[in-house]
Amino acid sequence: MHASHNNPSRRATLGSMAVVAWGATVGLTGCGSQPGPAARRDKSAKPKIALVMKSLANEFFGTMAEGAKKHQAANAGKYELIVNGIPDERDVTRQSALVAEMVAQGVDAIVIAPADSKALAIPLKRAADQGVRIVNIDNKLDAEVLDKLKLKIPFVGPDNRAGAQKVGEYLADKLAPGSEVAILEGVVTSFNSQQRRDGFGKAIFQSRLKLVKTQSAQWETGPANQVTASLLTAHPDLKALFCCNDNMALGALAAVKAAGKAGKVQIVGFDNISAVQAAIKAGEIVATGDQHGDQLAVFGIEIALALLDDKVGDSDKETPVDLITREKLP
Amino acid sequence: MFSPGQVGGLLLVLALMVAGFGWLQPRFLSTATLALLGNQIPDLAVLACGMTLVMVAGGIDLSVGSVVGLSTAVLGCCLGEWNWPVWSGCLTALVVGAGCGLLNGTVSVLAGIPSFIVTLGMLEAARGGAYWLSGSQTRYLGDGLEALSVPFAGLHLSPSALLAGLLVLSGQALQSLTTLGRRLVAVGENDQAAWRMGVDPKAVRIIAFALCGVLAGLAGLFQTARLGSADPNAGIGMELGAIAAVVIGGASPSGGRGSVLGSFLGVLVIAVLQTGLAQVGAADPVKRLVTGAVIVLAVLADAWRRKTR
Repeated sequence: MHASHNNPSRRATLGSMAVVAWGATVGLTGCGSQPGPAARRDKSAKPKIALVMKSLANEFFGTMAEGAKKHQAANAGKYELIVNGIPDERDVTRQSALVAEMVAQGVDAIVIAPADSKALAIPLKRAADQGVRIVNIDNKLDAEVLDKLKLKIPFVGPDNRAGAQKVGEYLADKLAPGSEVAILEGVVTSFNSQQRRDGFGKAIFQSRLKLVKTQSAQWETGPANQVTASLLTAHPDLKALFCCNDNMALGALAAVKAAGKAGKVQIVGFDNISAVQAAIKAGEIVATGDQHGDQLAVFGIEIALALLDDKVGDSDKETPVDLITREKLP
Repeated sequence: MFSPGQVGGLLLVLALMVAGFGWLQPRFLSTATLALLGNQIPDLAVLACGMTLVMVAGGIDLSVGSVVGLSTAVLGCCLGEWNWPVWSGCLTALVVGAGCGLLNGTVSVLAGIPSFIVTLGMLEAARGGAYWLSGSQTRYLGDGLEALSVPFAGLHLSPSALLAGLLVLSGQALQSLTTLGRRLVAVGENDQAAWRMGVDPKAVRIIAFALCGVLAGLAGLFQTARLGSADPNAGIGMELGAIAAVVIGGASPSGGRGSVLGSFLGVLVIAVLQTGLAQVGAADPVKRLVTGAVIVLAVLADAWRRKTR
């Protein structure tokens, strides 16, 4: 997920609105309490939550951790928070050790962005066996492995597929059936890229547009620029570009302008970075999706708190993805 | 090569750190945390043991972290794909580790290339091999090996931890009691002197690298057992932890001095620091600053103690 970074300077209002909406959902669905292991703590004490991240030097995770710390500062009476990251994104060893260290430290719940979707399963199982509640954010744990371990861990995160479909439909509705369109995807093996690609694809299919090409631009602006330039030459009738993140949308926009087709080829992105907000205001990009990157850890923490109070079950929880258009920006 | 003063100094540092963290975070002094420390260090402990032998003989092995990854990937293939029995998979992983070490030693000794360079090459090559064998995918193995990492009831320590402890003791015995141990020191101090003693420095060095390789393979087994899955990224950067532990433990980076037991204490210092800082919730940049400072301070203190003696 970190391949598509979010802008830390996103406006706080949207995020906090989402949290409020979130809280309401939790309250409404909060009837199915789960049996789970015997309660580890006495309910009168303030719960202690550990946030175990990947590298905090990566802006995407750093921003997420900052969001969590702010949330704790605003809710200091409700819970204690301890945040730890690993020096290297791939350091599974250190992250699994961190999980055990947090259990020994006596935390009640762990909110984790796993460095590997399989290798962290057994360390987390050991933590769960000791009565610690686990919530999975960012990188979804492998469902097959969790099944084998008979472990239920809720994944709290955005549905990238549905989110991209929402953004895609907004653009597709503006186009005549049969219009030629293309998708720019991120790193092909990335789960998020696949999900967003499929979401765009569904919107395109529903509106009976003609998908002439799906090509990868590796999440980056430069490659997106090159890919788009050659797409425009190969398909002169191209009417729209669906980009799996905002960086690629910016690269595509530059190529469209350079080809003298500004306004004739519509573009959507995903992530809601500030540069794309400016382009949307200028009418150059049609829309983007906002998954509230700075709030992703906070969503996980809120679910962990609800789990500890037996207010929610251990099924996956979806966090909001908002459609951002000209009308939504000040 | 094994001085009580040095060990005493390290024990004092450890005691101070444990007391400090215990004061900041009372849960640090729980049985759970202390057992956890013991069960987390087996891989680093055996790596540091192998690294000590190599460094005493005047070499260095930068490839151990990657060899951990390679042996993990080999194990993943044997158990996960070819469904071999556990013992033969483990044996193969150890043999691959030994092979890497042997290759490191042979090439650097026979061609006269500094081991720094040769093992830097192996660091890349072994990691490449790990990605190639595993298709860059983590393979879930489940229970097969897990027995190694499940603590004995009542004892709180896992078979891995006990095995690592046993190996550290054997390593120290090898150093203090055997001819090979004395020869490693002689070779590390001075090739000429070794020749005059009738010792072939080449053979001694190659043996040190091979042992280091086997131990890296074993560290791979420990890691795989702990995670229940074979991750080709296993052991990234671990060579630095091992070297730091050996240096904190009082070994000379230029050879001729160092003890396995001292290195083991170095491993404990690093582990206590890591766990303690995580449990008190230190910010990530602070963790790295403190760890770096402790490594240098430990070596400074050692140098100062030597000078004043």
